[in-house]
Amino acid sequence: MARQPNSALPADLAARLEPGSLARALQPRMAALTDEYNAPIALANAARNLPFLSAGRSIAELRGASLGKSNRAIVIAAGPSMHRVNPFPALRNAAFDGAVIATDSAILRCLRNGIVPDLVVTLDPHDSSIVRWFGDPALDAGALEDDYFRRQDMDDLFHDELRTNRELLDLLARHGPAMRIALSTSAGERVVRRVIECGMQIYWFNPMIDDPDLPDSRSRRLFESNRLPLINCGGNVGTACWMIADAVLGRRDVAVTGMDFSYYADTPYLNTQYYRQALELVGEDNLDALYVRIFNPHVGQWFYTDPAYLWFRTAFLELAADADCATYNCTGGGILFGEPVIVATIEDFIARSQH
Amino acid sequence: MDNLLKGNFTVAKPVLDEPPVKSLEDQFESAALKRLGGSITFVAKKKVVWDLASPHGKTAK
Repeated sequence: MARQPNSALPADLAARLEPGSLARALQPRMAALTDEYNAPIALANAARNLPFLSAGRSIAELRGASLGKSNRAIVIAAGPSMHRVNPFPALRNAAFDGAVIATDSAILRCLRNGIVPDLVVTLDPHDSSIVRWFGDPALDAGALEDDYFRRQDMDDLFHDELRTNRELLDLLARHGPAMRIALSTSAGERVVRRVIECGMQIYWFNPMIDDPDLPDSRSRRLFESNRLPLINCGGNVGTACWMIADAVLGRRDVAVTGMDFSYYADTPYLNTQYYRQALELVGEDNLDALYVRIFNPHVGQWFYTDPAYLWFRTAFLELAADADCATYNCTGGGILFGEPVIVATIEDFIARSQH
Repeated sequence: MDNLLKGNFTVAKPVLDEPPVKSLEDQFESAALKRLGGSITFVAKKKVVWDLASPHGKTAK
C-alpha cells in the first residue's frame, strides 16, 4: 500500500482529503474502535483491582447523597478554557452552595484555588499518564522525555513538571483524606495504589463498556465479577462526572466548566492532545483533515476539534437529552452547545438554579 | 459429495482461508482510532445500571 511520506496515510486516501473530512469519517466508528482498543485494558485492570475493592465502598452508597450541599452541582473539567475563563473567582464570590465534582485532571487547579472538590472522578485505564494527575511519587527527570503534559500546558501548571509533581504530592498529602473519589474499576494499578496512599474516600464503579442487555455482554460479566454499578461514561471523564451528578447524586441542576471538547482557533496543532499521533497518522500537510472547525455563536469565536472530542460532544448531547437534570454549560467557549444544554455564565447558573 | 471433491495430488503446504481484505480506509481508521479514541466507550440509551435483574434478564434502570 503506497503511503504518504512520514505517515500511515494511504496516498490515494490523502488525495481525497478536505479539511475535517477524516474527523467526520471516523465518527460512526469511534465507539466501536475505542472499545476495541481500551476495553481489554479496562477489563484487565478491573480484574487486577478485585483485591483493592475492600479499600472502598460501592458508588451506590452515594445514590441521592446530598454531600451536605444544595440540590445542584458543578463539574470542573480541565479544558483549555480554564486558562482563559477562570471559574473559581465567580464560584467563590457567589458562595456556591452545591457539590463540586472535579475530573482527575482538574485536581491541581481546584486545590490551587482553595477548593477541595466534594467528589473527584477518574476513569481512563492508561496508568502512567493518569497517575500524574494525582502526583507520581516515582516521577524523576528521566521519565520526562514524553512531552505530553508540557505540550498541552496553556499556563504554568506543567511548565516545571517535577515542581508541579511535588506540589501535587504535598497538596494531596494534606487534602486527600478529605476528598471522595469515584474510582472506576478500569483505573490502572498505580492510580489505585496512589489513591489509597492519599487516603481518599473511595467509591468504586464499573464503566459501562457495552450494552448490558446484549447477549454475552462484557459489562454484565464485569458486574457479575464485583457487583458494582455500571455507569455510562460517554467516552471521557468529564462526561462521567456529569453523569454521576445527574444519575447517582440526583442533582436537579448541573453545570459544567472546562468542558471545551475543542481548542481555541489560535492554538497551534503542536499544543493539542493528539498532535504526535496525528502527525504520524497523516503527516503535517494533511493535519487539517483531522480537525473540524466550529463557530460558537454564544461567544462569537471559532474553535477546532479532533475526532475524539467531536465524538464526546455528540455523545454528551445525546445523554443530556435523556437526563433528569437541567444541564448548563458555563465553560465560556468550546463546542458544547445545542439542545438541551443551556449556555450560561456561572453567575447566571447560580441565579437560575436557585430553588 | 466427498468423492466428487477429492483432489488428485497432495499439496506441499496446507491451504488456509484468506482473511477478508480491509479497505484502505478501514485499515487507516483502525490505526487512527487506536491513537485517537476516548477513555472508554459510549453506550447509547443507557445511564446507570444499579443491578442486573437476572443473568439473562433485562437491566433494571
